[in-house]
Amino acid sequence: MPLLTIATFLPILAGLALMALPDRSTRTAHAVSIAATGAVFLITLAIWARGIVAGDFAQVEEIAWIPAIGAAYRLGVDGLSLPLVLLTSLLFFLSALYSARIGERAASYVVLMLMLETASLGTFMALDGLLFYVFFEVSLVGMYFMIAGWGYEERQRAALMFFLYTLLGSLPLLLAIIGLYLGSGTFDMRVWVEGTALGGLPAMLALIAMLVTFAVKIPAFPVHTWLPAAHVQAPTAGSVILAGVMLKFGTYGLVRFAYQMTPEAFAQAGQVILAFGVVSALYGAFAALAQSDLKKMIAYTSVNHMGYVVMGVAIAALATEPRIRTIALDGATLQMVSHGLVTGALFFLVGMLQDRAHTRGIGDFGGLLGRVPWLGWAFILSAFASLGLPGLAHFPAEFQIFLATLNGMPWGLIAILAIVITAALYLRAIAGVFLGEMNDKWADMPDLDRREKLVILPLLVLTVLIGVAPGWLIDMIHTTMMGLGN
Amino acid sequence: MEMGRDLALLAPELTLAAAAMLMIVAEMFRAARLVLAIGLAGLAAATILTLPMLSVDATVFGGTYRIDLISGWAKLILLPGTALSLLLVRAEIAGRRREGSVQSLVVLVTLGALMLSGAGDMMVVVIGVVLTGLGSFALVAWPRDDAATEAAMKYLVFGAVTGSVMIYGLTFWFGGTGSTLFSELGQLQGQTLVTIAGLIAIIVGLGYKGSLVPFHFWAPDAYQGAPVSIAAYLSVITKAAAFFAFAQVLRDLPRDGGWPLALAVIAAATMTYGYLAALVQTNLVRLIAYSSVAQSGYFLMGVVALGASGFAVPGILVFAAAYVAMNLGAFAVVLLAGRDLGDLEGFGRTRPWLGAAMVVFLLSLTGIPPLFGFVGKFYLLSAAVEAGYLWLAIIGVLNSVLALGVYLRLMVPMYRTSSTEHPSEVGAVLTQGTVVVTVLATLLIGLAAGILPGP
Repeated sequence: MPLLTIATFLPILAGLALMALPDRSTRTAHAVSIAATGAVFLITLAIWARGIVAGDFAQVEEIAWIPAIGAAYRLGVDGLSLPLVLLTSLLFFLSALYSARIGERAASYVVLMLMLETASLGTFMALDGLLFYVFFEVSLVGMYFMIAGWGYEERQRAALMFFLYTLLGSLPLLLAIIGLYLGSGTFDMRVWVEGTALGGLPAMLALIAMLVTFAVKIPAFPVHTWLPAAHVQAPTAGSVILAGVMLKFGTYGLVRFAYQMTPEAFAQAGQVILAFGVVSALYGAFAALAQSDLKKMIAYTSVNHMGYVVMGVAIAALATEPRIRTIALDGATLQMVSHGLVTGALFFLVGMLQDRAHTRGIGDFGGLLGRVPWLGWAFILSAFASLGLPGLAHFPAEFQIFLATLNGMPWGLIAILAIVITAALYLRAIAGVFLGEMNDKWADMPDLDRREKLVILPLLVLTVLIGVAPGWLIDMIHTTMMGLGN
Repeated sequence: MEMGRDLALLAPELTLAAAAMLMIVAEMFRAARLVLAIGLAGLAAATILTLPMLSVDATVFGGTYRIDLISGWAKLILLPGTALSLLLVRAEIAGRRREGSVQSLVVLVTLGALMLSGAGDMMVVVIGVVLTGLGSFALVAWPRDDAATEAAMKYLVFGAVTGSVMIYGLTFWFGGTGSTLFSELGQLQGQTLVTIAGLIAIIVGLGYKGSLVPFHFWAPDAYQGAPVSIAAYLSVITKAAAFFAFAQVLRDLPRDGGWPLALAVIAAATMTYGYLAALVQTNLVRLIAYSSVAQSGYFLMGVVALGASGFAVPGILVFAAAYVAMNLGAFAVVLLAGRDLGDLEGFGRTRPWLGAAMVVFLLSLTGIPPLFGFVGKFYLLSAAVEAGYLWLAIIGVLNSVLALGVYLRLMVPMYRTSSTEHPSEVGAVLTQGTVVVTVLATLLIGLAAGILPGP
């Protein structure tokens, strides 16, 4: 059975079916959404059960598309994409559960979400350059309408900025794809990842084009400025998907395209890329420290966490020892998953807080822990995970990245400073919102209800599980990264 | 024998010419419905007759007219496009004065467009330019008000001047090769001045048809003065034909004459100027007119790469097909919504399906995958890169962002809440039918790009 294709297109087909239904009430829409995303989650679990292989893509599905130019519909997974596929299907399922409270034009909202899921899964699983670009761009359009239609007060401006910024960002990738195609005569990414399609100056130009695209998407300093605006204005589920899934397009592309397809150019530019990673990590942390708005703060910590991923990939290119390269790539990939889970949880929790209080300023709260213990403890756990506490999801990832950095480019370790700053800012946020004097305004704030617990618990469980016993996930990632490191 | 073969190959053109004559006869009896029926039947028959000839590569009448990949696909693109235009014309001016004449003229202009697309000889290009031109002037002047008359005059004067320049310049090529056939242009190798003189002629004559900067001035006025359906028609059919003619002429010209660079500069100027000008328009028709000017720049990227990239000809053809579908669709929505930017206020909320269709057209014009317009742009960008014009491809890519800015000016107000009424107009069924056909083409043909010509 073509499980990859089914998982990719089930959401959009469900969306189309919903549009065709005579009854497009809020209830039906959310029922369709939960059923479809739930089914997709189960299918991705089945894909996981089928397993991957070392040194190649597994479960490849291929149909001719535009034979004249060697473009085909090709899907497949490996140890880099499969963890992200699982993360995607989980986050979309939880977002569908969370979004069941949205009443405003629910049918359109659900259709957009489902379209985004198709685009996201397709982006991670596509093995054809043209197909990848198609999914990549469709996700952009979907997110634009999501922010513009269901965001907060300043949504039009934020959506416009997001769209223009990321379109401008993604177009260089199109030129790089054209270059790779002209260099190899095919759009088959399995050929491209051999790294021989381009060499010399064309490879360097293609690399620069790809780095621009993925740096905007990641986002890395200094092209991160769209992120806080988009996050603050996006609806909660939009933020979760944006941070949890769509930022990973950038880091996934960084490994799959930049690192794998132009390896020599990447190694030459390694120091510069490493520097961008370090600066992003530090800048994200400092900028987050300066925020008083919870959502904006978490948005900036994404810049910080993604900076570590960039560092990991750069170290992998710079290191000479295969063992170090593999550790760096393992850590970078694990960091993508951890960030998706932890930041997803944090955005959900801030969204739940905002649903109750209609504000997100740290200073507006105080002493909430006694009033809403579920929300409070969930936030504290996620915040600790986000700042890299051992035993929680980010620790094994960041540990591996720093270990590789220490062995490869010790100067990069100044990024560790960012961990201290993140710790400070999260403690400050926890103290400000959940500890101290209770603000009487929130005396009758209700705690999480059953549906909200259902949304948040899986993320917390996985955060702890990856922190304590990451083996099951690292083994999958390692299967592929072993080959990439050599 | 020879004549018989030639006529058989010309079956689509002859069918269309016969249909046009019959339309004029029917118009004498003021039987507008009959005129339309004959037109649609003729276009359908000509389209069907083209299908078995797609793989033919031949010339007729001593090499003056080509039956090849370009002219074959041109028919498959232009004839259905014309049929949709006829429906729009019917929807807009049904029952008005001389409706049948407008319909007949549209078909005659398309006949001229076919001549341009298959031209193998300088004289055929001239006939094509004149035939499309004369009909178009009359079509623009049809409303008989001041705006239309002024626009038509401008259009006519522009056409007359550029036409004369073209004919004068072409004589240099004739002098240089001793033949009016384009297939002989290879002999110009080394005769730089003669090459340039003829080239300027072609750029002026066809550049005017294709509304390239700086020969585009007539376009916004003509589109605005003419009925919306005629603006839609002129913006797609005569423009696409101009680029098919470019392809026919320049594919035989030696690339060392420097013309690719000259055209690349014009392409860059055209797309940039078109979008910049579109950014400040408040009249919807003028806005789309300037966006059409910008799209001409993308067409020209394919022309620049002729002879240097296998993507050049497929790029022009695929983009033309996409452009006809999406631009006709966008104009059809304008016909229903109104001619002013303000008329779109809240349109997407009160008419959700039409609004969604407009979004599809605009995203496709921007070049967002997997829509049809993206496939065309992708081929054209590939052609430019392969031909060594990376800088042009980069400008094309940057202009896509500008394009998004232009088209978001339409999309954003469509989803604002507003009290603007959007009543269904007369003839709405035909227009909506056109929207359905074009939106399906825009959505689906890009996904099935394997059926289109490739490198």
